[in-house]
Amino acid sequence: MSRRSVVIAGVGGQGLITIGSVLGEALMAKNYNVSVGEIHGLSQRGGSVAVFLKYGEGAVSPVVTQGEADLIVGLELIETVRRLPLLKRDGSVVVNDFLLPPPASKSIPTRGELLSNLSRVKSYVVDARELALKAGSEIAVNMVMLGAALATKILDLDIPDIENLLSKRFKGDVLRVNMEALRLGYQSIKE
Amino acid sequence: MVKAIIAGSAGEKKLLLGNEAIARGALEAGISSATAYPGTPSTEIIEAIAEVARDYGIYVEWSTNEKVALEIGIGVSMMGLRALVAMKHVGLNVASDPLMSLGYTGVIGGLVVVSADDPNAHSSQNEQDNRIYGIHANIPVFEPSTVQEAKDLTRELFDLSEEFQMSVILRTTTRLAHSRSQVVFGEVVRPNREAVFHRDPEKWALLPPYNLAKHRDVLVKLDKLSEHLSSFRFNTVEKVDGDVAVVTSGVAYNYVKEALEELDLALSVFKLASVYPLPRKLALEALSYGKVIVVEELEPVLEWQLKVLAYEEGMKAEIHGKDLFPRVGELNKELVKAGLSRALGIRYEAPPAVMPSVELPRRPPVLCPGCGHRSTYYAVKIAAQRLRVKPVYANDIGCYTLGFYPPYQMADFTWSMGSSIGIGLGIARFSKEPVVAFIGDSTFFHAGIPALINAVYNRTPMLVIVMDNGITAMTGHQPHPGSGVGVFGEEKPAIRIEEVARAAGVKFVEVVDAYDIIAMRDAVERAIKYMREAGEPAVIVSRRPCALMVLREKRRRGESIKRYTVMKEKCINCGICVDRFACPAIVREGDGKVTIIPDLCTGCGVCATICPAKAIREVEVDE
Ligand code: SF4
Ligand code: SF4
Repeated sequence: MSRRSVVIAGVGGQGLITIGSVLGEALMAKNYNVSVGEIHGLSQRGGSVAVFLKYGEGAVSPVVTQGEADLIVGLELIETVRRLPLLKRDGSVVVNDFLLPPPASKSIPTRGELLSNLSRVKSYVVDARELALKAGSEIAVNMVMLGAALATKILDLDIPDIENLLSKRFKGDVLRVNMEALRLGYQSIKE
Repeated sequence: MVKAIIAGSAGEKKLLLGNEAIARGALEAGISSATAYPGTPSTEIIEAIAEVARDYGIYVEWSTNEKVALEIGIGVSMMGLRALVAMKHVGLNVASDPLMSLGYTGVIGGLVVVSADDPNAHSSQNEQDNRIYGIHANIPVFEPSTVQEAKDLTRELFDLSEEFQMSVILRTTTRLAHSRSQVVFGEVVRPNREAVFHRDPEKWALLPPYNLAKHRDVLVKLDKLSEHLSSFRFNTVEKVDGDVAVVTSGVAYNYVKEALEELDLALSVFKLASVYPLPRKLALEALSYGKVIVVEELEPVLEWQLKVLAYEEGMKAEIHGKDLFPRVGELNKELVKAGLSRALGIRYEAPPAVMPSVELPRRPPVLCPGCGHRSTYYAVKIAAQRLRVKPVYANDIGCYTLGFYPPYQMADFTWSMGSSIGIGLGIARFSKEPVVAFIGDSTFFHAGIPALINAVYNRTPMLVIVMDNGITAMTGHQPHPGSGVGVFGEEKPAIRIEEVARAAGVKFVEVVDAYDIIAMRDAVERAIKYMREAGEPAVIVSRRPCALMVLREKRRRGESIKRYTVMKEKCINCGICVDRFACPAIVREGDGKVTIIPDLCTGCGVCATICPAKAIREVEVDE
């Protein structure tokens, strides 16, 4: 049985907690021991947020520490680079190509600087907003990223595992958009 | 309808948040009432119970504050029924007055008080360790280590509370309250007891002839409980050969397990779910090892108790704890690995890490795009400039506390619920500059009113700006006495802040639309002049529903959202909208030009009104 640690990094309001709980439920359905750590509260107001997901046999605490993550799913560039120390040397990063400068901050690294930081590890860059819009709504950015995360094959999950879950959670249009976003995100890495 | 998260039959397995697991445990225990004031990280307990409360005949409410919530729980227990009361750690300070006496009286119906502590102060003003409250109040304290245990322990604590006729504190921490793991459900018990008032004046009256006897009684009870707890199934020992024992509790247990695994070490582990009183027999067993390593978050609560016991019993164990692990902030596996290695004299190296090679800006939380608090701050700042005053800005607990950060910096202090007015009163007594206190609507009801009455009664000039967005926004939109709705969204009488202020005797009371910067500015100028002349307090209610909530409502109803844009040719790049107003939807692009991120804009239109070049206008969007 594999044992994995994932960090989902981004900004409050980007739907990180949904990604964490969907992945967690899908893994639980596969009988893994799952732990998802979240920080709520202030972080809902545009602050820096990280969700930790661990699964496998034995003890799984709700915190991922330095050099432990197999995968970082980043929804914003600065926040992704901020969590780099958590990544294993041979871990992977899937990142949304989106830079949101914190309001009223003086020195903001450029997109190029951030991307070159990420290029030091195995990383995939996704234009999640464009794909989400293609699927039907900008709100589906998190589903695009979830699809991209699956395509790395680092987690013991595949598209149908998530589709099962989504069809229990959503209906109608929302379900359709989410499914499409998931698929587009998946394909963006596959190619 | 999506099924309520904590609904389900015995044997069912769900991925639950620690808080939801506590809610499920209470449901399985057959509670009759659940009361709370929202506060991170405790909020989801009541939210989860509310989803099923009607089906099971449970009374549930958001109370005005934690003291009231606890008092209701005590009353319910007097009726022989089971009650859950939930709050964040600092909330227990508010409820501490009835709590301290509750330790003496004990209970009839099971009463579990959840204290959700926040090591690392992720969203709190301090890190206080409420296990110490239990010791102080003579109330037993229990701490679960996993989400499953959070459910099971909650369930059993109701039995224990009734068996010993003591209320208990269930202490959790952020990492448990907000982590998700699989939980196997047990049987749900419907509250079917008859409610009877247990008339027993001697038990319930905290009056001179009885108080000392009660104090003596509770000490005896605690001793008995300590014996009983040595066979409590949540206190476990994992024994291996060797002369080293690790004693731990709460979420730290998981870090210990992971650390031992990674260090490839085998040590005996004593996991204590009852942190006060200590299970005496188990504690002595742990102390029979040559070396005892105590791994706990925040204060050395277990360590102190073990050291006292070891001294009393003349046991020679070498006891380690806070000499190896930090007393500040949260623990994690790496800290535990480092500490254990030091205790055992093993070399330890942190795993290699990829360090960022660019400097990253901090990202403190911000007021949302479209938030009425921002425009209120902006208007107050302009008013102060026009009056040439440098107010002392007294701030309180809520989203608006974020006005502390640049560019606003309008929180000269921020303390605890209601303190902006209370502490402000002390400053206003002596300050030449005016005191402007900001307080949210929920906080006003929670603890602001007594201080406001004081301002009137003692004629203290002070401007109180109640930033009324109609909801307890910070914790995720729970209603309060001003909201006009209850815990289920059902209609309730709405108590008007302006009427409360007038009834308290405030003569200057005005209500302003928070988006209307000019109206707000003028009201502040009038108010400051008034308080200077009359020497009395003034109140302005700055009103606008929480932008986040309005946006969610619109999305749910499928309504379109207006958006604003910067007309590049008209923009003079003055920076007012981005540097001074600082709506997070407005950013500077690579070329230094100002632009609005369409996905973030909520269409409040305030930026358009403050732009001196009239360069911002509404755009048509169809979704
Ligand atoms: S949640 Fe509501 S009140 Fe809080 S910052 Fe956002 S808009 Fe303002
Ligand atoms: S209209 Fe202006 S101030 Fe309001 S949310 Fe949009 S960009 Fe921000």
